[in-house]
Amino acid sequence: MTAFIVRRVLMGVVVLWLVSVVTFFLIHLAPGGPSAAISFDSTAEQREALLKQFGLYDPPLVRYGKWIVGTVRGDLGVSYNQGLPVGQLLMQRLPNTLTLGLAALVAATLLGLLLGTLAAVYRNGWVDHVVSTISTLGMSIPGFWLGIVAIILFAVQLRWLPASGIVSSSGAGSLVDRLRHLVLPAGVLAFTLMPNVVRVTRSALLEVNRADYVRTAKGKGLAPGTVLFKHAFKNALVPVLAVLGLVTTALFSGSVVIESVFGWPGLGRLAIEAANGRDYPVILGATLLAGLIVVVVNLLVDLLYAAVDPRIRHE
Amino acid sequence: MPPIRVHLKLLKVLAALLASLAVALASAQDHDPNGSLTFATNADPTLNPWNASAVIESNLINTILFDQLVRYDPTDLHPAPGLAESWETAADGLSWTFHLRPEAKWSDGVPFTADDVVFTFNDAILNKDLGARNASGFAPVDRVVKVDDHTVVFELNRPFSSLPYFLAYYAGIIPAHVLGDAENPLTVASFNKGNPVVTGPYRVGEFVPGAYVKLVPNENYWGPAPKLASITFNIIPDGNAQIAQLLAGGLDMVSITNPALLAGVANNPNLEVIRQSQNIWYFVALNLNDERFQDVRVRQALLSAIDRPAIIDAVLEGYGVVATGPIAPLQQALYDDEVAKWPYDPEKAKELLAEAGWTPGPDGVLQKDGQRFVIDMPTGQYGYLVPSTLLVQQYWQDIGVEAKVETIEWNAFIQKAVVNRDYDAMLAWWSTPPTPDQSSYFASSGAVTGNNIPDYRDPVLDEIWERGRAATSQEEQVAVYREAQERMAEQLPYLFLWYPDMIAVKNTRIGGMHDINSAANFQYSYDWYVTR
Repeated sequence: MTAFIVRRVLMGVVVLWLVSVVTFFLIHLAPGGPSAAISFDSTAEQREALLKQFGLYDPPLVRYGKWIVGTVRGDLGVSYNQGLPVGQLLMQRLPNTLTLGLAALVAATLLGLLLGTLAAVYRNGWVDHVVSTISTLGMSIPGFWLGIVAIILFAVQLRWLPASGIVSSSGAGSLVDRLRHLVLPAGVLAFTLMPNVVRVTRSALLEVNRADYVRTAKGKGLAPGTVLFKHAFKNALVPVLAVLGLVTTALFSGSVVIESVFGWPGLGRLAIEAANGRDYPVILGATLLAGLIVVVVNLLVDLLYAAVDPRIRHE
Repeated sequence: MPPIRVHLKLLKVLAALLASLAVALASAQDHDPNGSLTFATNADPTLNPWNASAVIESNLINTILFDQLVRYDPTDLHPAPGLAESWETAADGLSWTFHLRPEAKWSDGVPFTADDVVFTFNDAILNKDLGARNASGFAPVDRVVKVDDHTVVFELNRPFSSLPYFLAYYAGIIPAHVLGDAENPLTVASFNKGNPVVTGPYRVGEFVPGAYVKLVPNENYWGPAPKLASITFNIIPDGNAQIAQLLAGGLDMVSITNPALLAGVANNPNLEVIRQSQNIWYFVALNLNDERFQDVRVRQALLSAIDRPAIIDAVLEGYGVVATGPIAPLQQALYDDEVAKWPYDPEKAKELLAEAGWTPGPDGVLQKDGQRFVIDMPTGQYGYLVPSTLLVQQYWQDIGVEAKVETIEWNAFIQKAVVNRDYDAMLAWWSTPPTPDQSSYFASSGAVTGNNIPDYRDPVLDEIWERGRAATSQEEQVAVYREAQERMAEQLPYLFLWYPDMIAVKNTRIGGMHDINSAANFQYSYDWYVTR
């Protein structure tokens, strides 16, 4: 087990290093430059002074070398456009993205498990059709559109919830205020992620239902509820866990859109702003952090497999 | 009959006094001392007016926070006293003396003095290594010299009669006693992203990154006491979300960059749509390094082919007027309406092009010496540049000119069109101080490396701008700048398109605003109040 973890951690480091190399050279291939310098009304003299301050006259390899040395030491550089250390910016934004992501993940998982189980139990009945309609909608409606509709409905028309932001200056700090701001973005994000969980739960349960041990359990005369929860459900969880690993990745790309629509100051919005403004150190930092989270979550999922299914041994 | 005239004057003065008294009384009764306003900005601001990243998201906040030597008179946008009480220029026009307000203080209680002005200019703006924002506007300034604690002299390398206008244009003074020791006074994070020491009527109370900046009254403000308990700027990146918030009552005022979005707010009784004027002119720049565009008839033809009123109706929803040059009508006496206007006339356009040797080819596209008239026209994704560009493309197609439009992301567009001058034609705009001195967009010295984007070189116009800089009296200026406008309307260094109205929507509960112009409005933020 320890050897497995060590091997996976080392692989994770290699993956992150590759991510940094690809990101670094990709962003420098993109046209344009830091928006502080490449602004419409800048003169050549101003651009030169600023690009020099940013160290952009060094050759790319030298810049990458400096960046990687700094990063290993825990210094991710300073944002060109915001003037703050990248580490500080990421740490400001990370808790917000985690809050949004966790809320959406929990909501999507609970709702997905519930709907998926219902669909499996009432297979081919009207419940199954309703569930499959809901998940098809969640799958096919783009998050930004759903977000705008949710804003129009719940914020503008009904005025139940705030349209954007993470706190209001008047209610700052209060938990209720924060929760009110969380409902719409987390709800929309959860709705777009949920179909993955529904589908896998349904098909896994149906699969398990055909298994010998479930037939045996039914044959023993156990109550349907006991069969479902004690025997079938636990075994159906393995593929569900696998999909949760994938959903976490989708969560990041989804939150990029949702954070922009709802003005949610998370990593996704930071990354978008950095990409639009060619804020290279922030793009690199945000990509690396997102990569780190995905690597860690996948490792955790693998370890959870073993906990759920004792037959799986990581040797 | 002189006596009657005096009486009339007296009566007028009395009436004005009574009226202002009535307004003052009404506002004193209505105004809510605990009132607060909430605005939106589209990204985290940088609270230093000279930092290169402090642009649209920061301008208005910095205008509240950092007083300037000069501000706009909110009635006519002429220069009015700010941190400087008065100023005068030397007879040769090569130096300006500014007399500072002795009572002005920084928000930490330290007196505001000549040292702050000297520091802001000599150590920040004029230090070329820092790349300060808007620094190019102060190119005629050599340095600023302190005479005594409350007097400074701007020493110039050439006359600069518009200096006060530039000092009123997003030109806040920054504190020497706070930033003086910094290696780079423009990039001190605790100042720019935290709690800066300021001279304005409000100071920063709270800055929550990504969420909001809350301003509270500055107890050390030298001027009238602010009437609001707080002004909050919520950070909302998306324009649609801003309007949603405005409709939901969470915002008090929003600037509308895309007039198409106005439909949603038009019928709301709590909201008022205001048109502000600003010296903004949209243009098509033709790359004058290209031989085809060096023939003035070609430029005149390409402008005559565009139906500008139709684009203003279709894209700007009518919020704008046709431009005749870089000096917008808000400059009143200095704006010259009697110049060549090149109204929509495709037949005339074809004639002019025929004179220049461009005749229809077999495929309908004009050609000359076997070359088809094809124009590369990159456009950036920003505001309504793309739909405007596509309409221009259509109009040019009607006269047999083929524009190849390539839509690219904004930052990449700037790199291509502005930095590399890699375009044949492009549509964009300039937003400038409301001064007739628009030379930086036209002067030969600004070609290739500066703001003269079409790389226009015209010694005649250069000489007119020089005379304008030296002209001190209003009559002289009117005469010189009429000459400049006539020359530009004839020569078309840019194809002038339109002056857009700046549109804002505000809640009717706000009082004390100066709707003429947003910069001027924010320079007098202590006048704002909220009715009960």
